[in-house]
Amino acid sequence: MTALAAPAGLQNADRETDPRDPEARLARLLDADSVVPLHPRDSSGALAARGRINGAKVLAFCTDATIMGGAMGVEGCRHIVEAIDTAVRERVPVVGLWHSGGARLAEGVEALDAVGQVFAAMTRASGRVPQISVVLGPAAGGAAYGPALTDLVIMAPAGRVFVTGPDVVRSVTGERIDMEGLGGPEAHGRRSGVAHVVADDEPDACARARRLTTLFARPGVFDLHAVRDDVEDLRAMLPESPRRAYDVRPLVRRVLDRDGAGSSFEELQPRWAPNIVVGLGQLAGRTVGVIANNPLRMGGCLDSASAEKASRFVRMCDAFGVPMLVLADVPGYLPGVDQEWDGVVRRGAKLLHAFAEATVPRVTLVTRKAYGGAYVAMNARCLGATAVFAWPEAEIAVMGAKAAVGILHRRELAAAPEEEREALRERLAEEHERIAGGVGRAMAIGVVDEVIDPAHTRYRLAEALAAAPAGRGAHGNIPL
Amino acid sequence: MAEEIHAEMVANVLRVEVAEGETVDRDATLVLLESMKMEIPVITEVGGVVARVAVNAGDVVRRGDLIAVVE
Repeated sequence: MTALAAPAGLQNADRETDPRDPEARLARLLDADSVVPLHPRDSSGALAARGRINGAKVLAFCTDATIMGGAMGVEGCRHIVEAIDTAVRERVPVVGLWHSGGARLAEGVEALDAVGQVFAAMTRASGRVPQISVVLGPAAGGAAYGPALTDLVIMAPAGRVFVTGPDVVRSVTGERIDMEGLGGPEAHGRRSGVAHVVADDEPDACARARRLTTLFARPGVFDLHAVRDDVEDLRAMLPESPRRAYDVRPLVRRVLDRDGAGSSFEELQPRWAPNIVVGLGQLAGRTVGVIANNPLRMGGCLDSASAEKASRFVRMCDAFGVPMLVLADVPGYLPGVDQEWDGVVRRGAKLLHAFAEATVPRVTLVTRKAYGGAYVAMNARCLGATAVFAWPEAEIAVMGAKAAVGILHRRELAAAPEEEREALRERLAEEHERIAGGVGRAMAIGVVDEVIDPAHTRYRLAEALAAAPAGRGAHGNIPL
Repeated sequence: MAEEIHAEMVANVLRVEVAEGETVDRDATLVLLESMKMEIPVITEVGGVVARVAVNAGDVVRRGDLIAVVE
């Protein structure tokens, strides 16, 4: 607002210090001195440029929040479309920095049409080149759907994403809420799942965008020598009791390569549907995607939201040829009326579809147990897994042996004298496990390829992924 | 600031591991639930003082039920 009213000279002086300046923002995102604008700086409300991230070529654009709050008009949208189309032609990632109030009111329907053309360009690019959005300020109305159409959304603390703002919400529904409550990082990181990454501040948001872009742009190759001698009993990271829940994320971090002081794992949507963990990282020097049940949250059950979260991630990995590693420890699908009515059948079907259609190498490791429909959904052999491994004593079954016996032998158990009932249940469960469950049976019928030594987990997983022919799905990444 | 911790799913309360007034660290287990044949700890995402424990061992909690308040 002030930029519009200010005399031209002052505006230029502001530009150098204004933290919202698009040149400054692109300079923060891209390698030093690598920014080459695609067009002269103008008053269109957007700036598009070529540049590099850790040496890899990328296209980038930034809405210009110093002009009308970054509102999108015909000219600015044309720059954004050019950036996206150029990225597709040159097969490089495209990163968008967002700070925009939406379509320019003054340009009317023409602006709406232009914003729609940005959406169409993003959809053309979907699944062909990685598209990463960083929301640095408000991204309202039309500007909300821009990031939402891309593969990954990173939100800075000042990021606000909503279709209609607090004033409209209040006048229509009577609900009173501020911009942050409605569409801030907490709302989208925890409640809606719109944000894949919630950053600590604007520089952190750029740093996270750089790391994620690099995982796509420089995927590396499997170097089995790097993991051959890496021997550590990873099963020791699980609790002793098979019934006890644990946080799977330390295990995921350990399975993946170290990156400096920490792990290379970049978790996505960590606080939304936390019963499944998804993210990118490197294994033996190659970028991989990880999908893991997290027993710490809801026992690691699959449910409506987690199935949808995993589906979209699986399709993204497949679209960009990122091999997948699936860590299964799942007691089943969460039962409940709200689950059924919330579409657990419809959303669960997405996960089956996503894995079954994937052509990228994808290896499953059953660490403890995989029961029922959730077993199938976690990239089972029947869905076309490249390999299915299990750790010793893992159990694969329709349900736990004791629960199964309770149904199959209900009458026999009821007829038994009470003092003998538990012993009978134990004996029947053992028998049931021998014929119907247990990893031995799973291997005999070929749904598990091998029980692997947990100490060689990293090597065996990398070896299986490396041995498979590289694949890449020919499909877009619709925001499921 | 008070952080309310709610049940994420239907479960039996197996054990309550903290008392009201107790100081807890972030990621501490407040209550142990049993559901889907799993023992599932309810952890706090903030450290502080346990202002309230809303469940007892043996209770059944439904999704969204208040389990505890940490201040």
